[in-house]
Amino acid sequence: MPNEKKELREERTIERINLQLRIQHFALMVSVTLLILTGFALLYQDSAFGRFLIALEGGFEARGLIHRVAAGLLMATAFYHLLYILFSRQGHEEFMQLLVTAQDFKDYGASLLYDLGLRAQKPQLDRYSYREKFQYWAFALFVVIMIISGFILWFHDWFFGLLPKWAFDVAIAVHSGTGTLIFVVLTLWHFYLVHLSPGRFPIDWSFWDGKISEKQLQEEHPLEYQRLKEKGML
Amino acid sequence: MRQLIALGIALFSLGLGSELSYSQRDPNARCLLECHANPELKREIAPGQFKSLYVNYEQFKASVHKDKLCVDCHTDATAIPHQRRPEQIHCLQCHYQGNVVGAPVSERPEKYKESVHGKASARGDPNAPDCKNCHTVHDVRAHTDPISPVYRANIPKTCGSCHIEIYTEYLESVHGQALRNNILESAVCSDCHREHDLFPPDDPRSSLYPQNVANTCAHCHTDVKIMERRGVPVKQVEAFKKSFHGIAIEFGILRSANCISCHDYHKILSSRDPRSPIHPLNLAKTCGQCHPNASDNVARGRFHIIPSDPDAGIVFWVYEFYRWLTIVMTAGFIFYILLDLYGRWRHARKGSHG
Repeated sequence: MPNEKKELREERTIERINLQLRIQHFALMVSVTLLILTGFALLYQDSAFGRFLIALEGGFEARGLIHRVAAGLLMATAFYHLLYILFSRQGHEEFMQLLVTAQDFKDYGASLLYDLGLRAQKPQLDRYSYREKFQYWAFALFVVIMIISGFILWFHDWFFGLLPKWAFDVAIAVHSGTGTLIFVVLTLWHFYLVHLSPGRFPIDWSFWDGKISEKQLQEEHPLEYQRLKEKGML
Repeated sequence: MRQLIALGIALFSLGLGSELSYSQRDPNARCLLECHANPELKREIAPGQFKSLYVNYEQFKASVHKDKLCVDCHTDATAIPHQRRPEQIHCLQCHYQGNVVGAPVSERPEKYKESVHGKASARGDPNAPDCKNCHTVHDVRAHTDPISPVYRANIPKTCGSCHIEIYTEYLESVHGQALRNNILESAVCSDCHREHDLFPPDDPRSSLYPQNVANTCAHCHTDVKIMERRGVPVKQVEAFKKSFHGIAIEFGILRSANCISCHDYHKILSSRDPRSPIHPLNLAKTCGQCHPNASDNVARGRFHIIPSDPDAGIVFWVYEFYRWLTIVMTAGFIFYILLDLYGRWRHARKGSHG
């Protein structure tokens, strides 16, 4: 009965994202959301939108305070993540799967061709494909840039003895430029892929419970599905 | 005695009539004839202290009040010679809303009452200036008249008659120097402080309240024509308002720097002048007022930059890089999303057919 089996698999879910990663993701999500809201408030302070955000955040100085508290949370999360991938076996294994390989570029090309109908076979993606890797590495780079430029601006009084005046102007330009870029990547890439694309719209709750249906796993991460099946974990 | 003096003057004037500045038919002639044309006429207001009661009629006839009679203002001089000392007169006797003598009315006297000078005067401060201290008494002239004390070029001297130290500081500044070179569009006291509505800088109504300083400077410093004529950059105020200092001030963080925090105020000097607080060698000290760690590093970079303006140097290029990166990535993501949706639609259709 192949049909029955298929339906059964659709209801059966497995925990694909462990609690460790879910907590880290949650801290990242909260801090980045706060940082974007408070950051855009300042970036667009001369518009009604910016003024609305500033009023919402309790005024100009409260806005700055929220931004710095959220920055503290982000930095703590980034530091914790660093320890997690360096010193925990589980984290290290996850990280090794996130390293970019030549296969990712092939898969990206193949998926474009597949969408265009120039290739019959859907590329066989693993646990972390070019889609996830791009998000991970883009955000890793963004976080590093934001922490460095943000640190210069936060502790400008201290850095005044160290850096030339133009470095602060560059830090402002980099901080606002990267902030805007993060917003674009977050909405048009991350949100589209995980929440807004057909089949997931309007929201995919895996960030909360870490669960994915076996059917979805087989469709989107066939290599991971295969591996888990061989291990007898399904 | 008074009659004797008057008689003496009358006889004198008969003999030298052509030298007199008024005609016998002038309705004011009696006041003058009797007493007030005599430069020696004075009154002892305190032992050994005299107040001149002489009126320079030539000057009066050149003033804006030339067609007025002495008694138009000195209304209590009902008989000539007057029996009692006339009361002090006030401009508002005529310059009030609805007056019938056609005296021009503006909101200025009302503003004056609220000003630092008006309030000090109301408190009874003997040094507080009244209308006459700036506009004079019998010699009131329009502000367009080059010999008026309220003519642009004369304003610093007029204010300086009380504010002597500030006057000397001002004369050294770029504005004072320009004015001395007959550049009348240079800033004078009233351009920044206002004149009748002159409030202390901690009053939110003041033109020099921290949040208003940039707009006060902007009156001239965003005027492209004036700034081009004087070779002064015109985007400084706009750049300040876009800077963190400008934004913080706008949102009520009054301790944030405004124009005068760095440029000084009465003694504003060019950045090329070694005495200037914005001379590169003095910047560490100037920024150090608020940022204790400031070193000569603060002089390495451009000031008053607008990131989207090529004059911003490296900041402009960083800004452009991010602008294009954001545009390209946005376009790329939208392209990918459309392609993904198209692919899904294609395969769904093929799937349903198959």
